[in-house]
Amino acid sequence: MVERAAILKGRPPSQFVGGWEAGLIGLMALLYIAGALINPAFFGTTDALHALLRDSARYGVMAVGMTFVIVNKDIDLSVGSTFGLVGVAFSIVFSPTHYDYSLAAALLFCVFLGMVIGLINGVLVTFLRVPAFIATLTILLIGRGMVLGLTGGKTIAYPAKAADYAWFFHLSETNAFGFNNQIVIFLVIAVLGAIVLAKTRWGYETFATGGNEQAAIYAGIPTRWVRIRAYLMSSLCATLAGLMAIAQDKGVTSQFGLSAELIVIASVIIGGASILGGRGRVIGSCLGAVLTVLINKVLREGWPTTRVIKVDGVDITVNATSQLPAGAVPAFLGLILVVAVLIEPYIIRRQVPARLWAWLRGKAPPPPPESGGIAIEGAQTRGTMASDKALTAKGFGKFLARRDALAIVLVAALWFMGLYLRPDYWWNLPNTFAILLNFTEVALLTIGLTYVIACGDIDLSVGAVLALAGSTAAYCVKALGMDPMAAVAMGMLAGTSAGAVNGLLTVGFGLPSFIATLGMYYIARGLASWVVAGQQLTGFPERFNLFGRKIADIFATYGIELPLGTLRAFAEVVSVQTLWTVLVAVIAGIILGYMPFGQRVYATGGNLRAAAYAGINTGRVRFMSMVFAGLCAAMAGIINVAYFRSFNPVAGQFRELDAIASVIIGGGSIFGGYGTIIGSLAGAAVITLVRALLQLNIITADGRSIVLPQHWVNVFIGLILIAAVLIDIWLRQANIFARVRGLLAKGRLWAR
Amino acid sequence: MGKVKGMSESVGVAPIVDMRNISKAFGAVQALRDVDLRLYPGEILGLVGDNSAGKSTLMKIMTGAYHRDSGEILVAGGVTNFRSPHESRAVGIEMIYQDFALCGNMDVGQNIFLGRWPVKGWFVDRKKMYAEADEVLKRLKVDVNSVHQRVESLSGGRQQSVAIARAISFDPRVIILDEPTANLSVMATQRLLETMLELKKHGVAQIIISHRLQDIFAVGDRVMVLKRGENVGERVIKNTTEHEVLQIIVSGVKGKNGKGPPAPAVKAKVKPAAKRVAKK
Repeated sequence: MVERAAILKGRPPSQFVGGWEAGLIGLMALLYIAGALINPAFFGTTDALHALLRDSARYGVMAVGMTFVIVNKDIDLSVGSTFGLVGVAFSIVFSPTHYDYSLAAALLFCVFLGMVIGLINGVLVTFLRVPAFIATLTILLIGRGMVLGLTGGKTIAYPAKAADYAWFFHLSETNAFGFNNQIVIFLVIAVLGAIVLAKTRWGYETFATGGNEQAAIYAGIPTRWVRIRAYLMSSLCATLAGLMAIAQDKGVTSQFGLSAELIVIASVIIGGASILGGRGRVIGSCLGAVLTVLINKVLREGWPTTRVIKVDGVDITVNATSQLPAGAVPAFLGLILVVAVLIEPYIIRRQVPARLWAWLRGKAPPPPPESGGIAIEGAQTRGTMASDKALTAKGFGKFLARRDALAIVLVAALWFMGLYLRPDYWWNLPNTFAILLNFTEVALLTIGLTYVIACGDIDLSVGAVLALAGSTAAYCVKALGMDPMAAVAMGMLAGTSAGAVNGLLTVGFGLPSFIATLGMYYIARGLASWVVAGQQLTGFPERFNLFGRKIADIFATYGIELPLGTLRAFAEVVSVQTLWTVLVAVIAGIILGYMPFGQRVYATGGNLRAAAYAGINTGRVRFMSMVFAGLCAAMAGIINVAYFRSFNPVAGQFRELDAIASVIIGGGSIFGGYGTIIGSLAGAAVITLVRALLQLNIITADGRSIVLPQHWVNVFIGLILIAAVLIDIWLRQANIFARVRGLLAKGRLWAR
Repeated sequence: MGKVKGMSESVGVAPIVDMRNISKAFGAVQALRDVDLRLYPGEILGLVGDNSAGKSTLMKIMTGAYHRDSGEILVAGGVTNFRSPHESRAVGIEMIYQDFALCGNMDVGQNIFLGRWPVKGWFVDRKKMYAEADEVLKRLKVDVNSVHQRVESLSGGRQQSVAIARAISFDPRVIILDEPTANLSVMATQRLLETMLELKKHGVAQIIISHRLQDIFAVGDRVMVLKRGENVGERVIKNTTEHEVLQIIVSGVKGKNGKGPPAPAVKAKVKPAAKRVAKK
């Protein structure tokens, strides 16, 4: 009885705090001491600690909301753009240079905006059943596009008007007790969040939903509301964080909150939460945020060095700070994200610290944890009548029942729309081939991604791998002076390795593919800008540039004169990349459609377990698909660099959006098991035409011309991706038209 | 290892599968203890028992998914030592899983040849695949409209037909059905039982694991009861009743029921339906 009382009264709930947090604090202390030893000028002062806590505050606030989302077995990638969008919205409403409303109006608008974003995320993920990573990734990219579009890439600042509203802007300044008010806000939110998650029904509902949603539904928990609620909390926390940052900076730039989601998600995962849901503590997440920000600071701060410079033959010692180049920080943070995700299944779940401690004391290790059947794989698709239609339908109905019908109809419709808008220009050959050039980049990415998506995985890193391969090739040919062919091989190797790492993380370590490739998304893009840091990589040997030229240019370079005629006309309009894409597409299409490997891909994506029972090495199939996606992205990257004759660090940005949308429009399913190369190419054509149409210079009746800026095009593509996923889930899979028709028919029966 | 009562009809025919003294432990839990199982060609054996009686473990040991601690397995008189289900498949033992293990996104023909699609050179020989799939379905006398139909658009019963068609396309000598009627409607169950009798005519030995005794009594030749990892009784269907088998399931003791003396009467009369509910 005494023991029972002790259990009932003496122990705080395990959802509150645990041994993991103690470990985090220890690690932080070690890191901080290391930082202080390396750079005493920066880390050795109390100011530094204060600054660390102040900067952690914003990420910590976001991490509190994110903890609820991740414990629910969801993810919210959109916090970074919510943070940025709130900042921009506040500035536009408040700034005298724009609308110049009162502070209250601006604050109200921001809270409203945060709630709307949270609701959109929540409704997409719950009622509309879009996978969380794809819904929130799209919202992230749409949000970033809007930030760029609204600021126009410029800074908005209003220090003068801010002085009139001192009470609000004082929120981010040092208070009478000598520390920053943001730290107070952080503490309040953290304590509130910790109590709600650990001690209230809301928290218990969250754990139930993340642990086993089906069981939670049976128990009468409104899991949809629980998940929407978490998304609302997450975006409201991001809103608060954005306002805190606004109060501190009194202005915004277009970079506001860039990659913040990376730090926030890494914080929560480092804090001991499981990406598979059902585990996580707010206090851990907050400590994780401080740790991640500390690492971020250590990486950005650099360390003092002395350089010896020869000036006129005399050695002069110069004190300098050596810093990591620009891309290194996101690359490291992406790596930390991946490592952190591995911590939970491999260290916490296997009780490594407890076993190590027991081993050190020479005691017997604790009993092995009960391993429940935790499925890492996502939901499988179920119950479609579309194929029945395909068997019975005739004529045009048969065509419409095809999964790629949408893409083909859209290609035709969009092309004619272009013809209608610009009859003078759309039709002619240069424009057609310009579109074709844009098409090849998306098409190459799409070909690889079709395999990955058909396998039931996803690769969010294709755009970043494109940049990595391009920068590697550019660096090898320019900075290292390698032979163009060798440089191309190095670029391909870089892309393929990135694909192999993705494959290793998903297949070998069992991580969900979206989180592994999300890590790669930051790592590859970071590495890409790291490789070229501070250098303008341009002016390659012409032999290298030939990869992005027309066939005729190749002959010209080698001094071969083509005879006039069809062959020459062909060589003058067709470029190497077009031919290459056709070749890759044909090979990939034949393998996927007609060879056993393609069948293995579909079987793996359709039902992983059944495929394994049937003797298919599903791990190998998934790994090879991921590597192929990396290889395709590498080809696209090299062609991109050769075509533009220079490497641009933003090459391939937002391309993952294009490629995923292409596959889904072309008949692929985000849940796996479907997708054809022909369909995906048609989907890529849709995306290319949409981009071409949106960037069309439309001449109005009064002679003005209108062009849509690039940022808004990306927002539009994001909307298309969401629409495509919704169409796939609700029209192709759930066949909602037939269900509505069925309901209507039933209604008619009752009426009779 | 005395002869089971009423086994006389099978005397003289060599068993296709002969499992002797199988034991298996998972850690501290003894899942199976000295279990014997014999299966004769063309026979339908019902395997019953409460949850955690060791039915699935025994079947997984037969297919090679698990490894036995002791005992031996003879298939057609030869000693075997399967390390994986693929090896047992090679000697003609097929298992049909409760959820059928099919790929919903692929069509009937592709599913029947899942993982071993016929090839012509580098390419899948679609003509041959669909022709052979059609033939298998005809042999089974099941009603699947077309081999081109996607499996996820089929009803549960037809999906099961595809799973069985897939199993018999391997020309097995033994088919193990794990809870085959669990997800089926009454009509589909009826069709399945007919299919099982059809297979029996072709000389395929079958083991059916089921909680529904009436299914086993409808098609089975023999029923074997496991309880806490022990074989607590075997009966020939035509010489027993559902009630007797139920008594053995509930209160059978090893060595007492198998060799003749009737099982001790249970005090409370347990109805089959109530029993099933209690297990959930």
